[in-house]
Amino acid sequence: MTENIQTAQQNIYKPAIMKIVARHDEAPGVRTMKLEFQNPAEHELFKQNYRTGMFGLYGVYGEGESTFCVASPETRNEYIEFTFRQSGRVTTALANSDIGDLITFRGPYGNRFPIEKFYGKNLIFVSGGIALPPTRSVIWSCLDQREKFGKITIVYGARTVADLVYKHELEEWERRDDIDLVLTVDPGGESPDWKHRVGFVPTVLEQAAPSPDNCIAVICGPPIMIKFTLISLKKLGFDESNVYTTLENRMKCGVGKCGRCNVGSIYVCKEGPVFTAAEVSKMPQADL
Amino acid sequence: MTRILLRDKLDNCVARWRKAGLTVIGPVKKETFSSYAAVENAAELDLSMIMPDRSIKGLFFPQTEPMLHYTIKKQALDIKDFTPPPEKRIIFGARPCDASGMAIDDPLFGWDYKDNFWFQRRNETVIVTIACTKADDFCMCTSLKLAPDSTKGSDVMLRPLQNNRGWLVEELTDRGRDAFNEIADLLQDGSEPEASIAVVPEKFDLDACVTWLQKTENFESTFWKEISMRCIGCASCTFLCPTCHCFDFQDEGDTYSGIRRKNWDSCSFALFTMHTSGHNPRATQSARWRQRIMHKFNYFPGKFNVNSCSGCGRCSRQCPVDMGITETLQAISTLQP
Repeated sequence: MTENIQTAQQNIYKPAIMKIVARHDEAPGVRTMKLEFQNPAEHELFKQNYRTGMFGLYGVYGEGESTFCVASPETRNEYIEFTFRQSGRVTTALANSDIGDLITFRGPYGNRFPIEKFYGKNLIFVSGGIALPPTRSVIWSCLDQREKFGKITIVYGARTVADLVYKHELEEWERRDDIDLVLTVDPGGESPDWKHRVGFVPTVLEQAAPSPDNCIAVICGPPIMIKFTLISLKKLGFDESNVYTTLENRMKCGVGKCGRCNVGSIYVCKEGPVFTAAEVSKMPQADL
Repeated sequence: MTRILLRDKLDNCVARWRKAGLTVIGPVKKETFSSYAAVENAAELDLSMIMPDRSIKGLFFPQTEPMLHYTIKKQALDIKDFTPPPEKRIIFGARPCDASGMAIDDPLFGWDYKDNFWFQRRNETVIVTIACTKADDFCMCTSLKLAPDSTKGSDVMLRPLQNNRGWLVEELTDRGRDAFNEIADLLQDGSEPEASIAVVPEKFDLDACVTWLQKTENFESTFWKEISMRCIGCASCTFLCPTCHCFDFQDEGDTYSGIRRKNWDSCSFALFTMHTSGHNPRATQSARWRQRIMHKFNYFPGKFNVNSCSGCGRCSRQCPVDMGITETLQAISTLQP
């Protein structure tokens, strides 16, 4: 269990109050918000316990809570960043929140990417669309201690050029010579000045052909992308135990009670959200 | 030496418990059924019924209850814990399957993160169970390796005496002993012949069912589609179930103040697992029924070492389309493992 704000209090469903200190539009309908704790004790607990891969429940009172990963890395725990697409009741309320507004946070919940196991290895990150935020948390956690890792490759794609998130960071990663960045958009999603690849992520990944030797793959994307990326990685010779992903199931409680994140006997909120492909392949595939 | 509670003393007991500050709850006759409800005297209790319409789950995990209060004033957000008001209660005449159900859910509400809404009520409530002398065709406790006189989850077990004279008292927990010390002078020592316990025939071979459920290839079996074709996804079975524990949070209020509620939810509903993207891991009713059966007899026991079913049979008894766990497990027992 992750110690957190909620384990220290009587009511495990009571969230911490957070202030929005910055926000940034990433893509049409997609926004990143930066939050700061209002209570130093709660912040201290977060700092002690947050590790990359964990998630939280972000809430607007009167509307409800939604589950998103913590998109900021564990190496930068003075604040929480999260990225969301406006689509439902809570995300619309979040989208309508401004800098200075107070929202709520429960977490951090779940397990983490065991990045100390990645030390000395090459890393390949494969991500699609709005699934870059969880990957980005791992990417920065590794980049902030760059010397501990081998070659780092990032394959990222979206439907269209406009749908790419963290464009400013993509530019930064592109400039760095210690990262191989492969960007792609789906056929038809390119703009006239698009200089990168056109094609679906799994195809582009196969073209990039990273060597599976001493390499860890971290993949995150919509279920359909994950499915085909796993096939591509297998073709490239990756062992399932060296491929990590994070499952993004619907959640309400985050603490293994409300029942909806179940995949087989797994409570994604407690035993996940981070799994190796070997673990995922043991789950009932039809329920993913 | 065993102690006996005679039926004609029951009214005194109820009065005594009420005087000691306990809310007395028991099965009360409504029109065509009985329901667990608070009573003021023993005459209100319907102790001859087979099974109240709902389980005692709602007394510990209400259908809806506030979690938090919030108020927003200008730039200040204030969140206040909601704690259920302390209430000492005694449930007199719980069915053994209902009492078992509460014990089954304890580990779920307690693993790592402790849901104190549940445990506060568990600690404040004495469950006095009466062993069953009657059963109907839907009762299936014996198939779940429980019995009409299982003591699981009970604080006190009462075993009916012959001729409806009263009950043999078996105190099982400190909570139960405390409640019965309150009425010690109304009990009498001795023993009398006990009434015979209901006979509940085994309806299916649970071990064979579990073996079938645990086989990976059976997850994709067409059996699931066939057995759940009738299911209309109304969720009656989950709401009536003593052990079904899934819930939802909903906010009620406006921009300035309101409450966050915890409400019963059900894996029978399509929206239960629907992602924002529109992707739904359990998109069909058969996938949802499979999840319910798998969860109760494969996943839950894998985690907590106990089946998430106490055999009350309400899911079949009150299903509007005549399906339920019994029918499903009976059908599974006939399949090749």
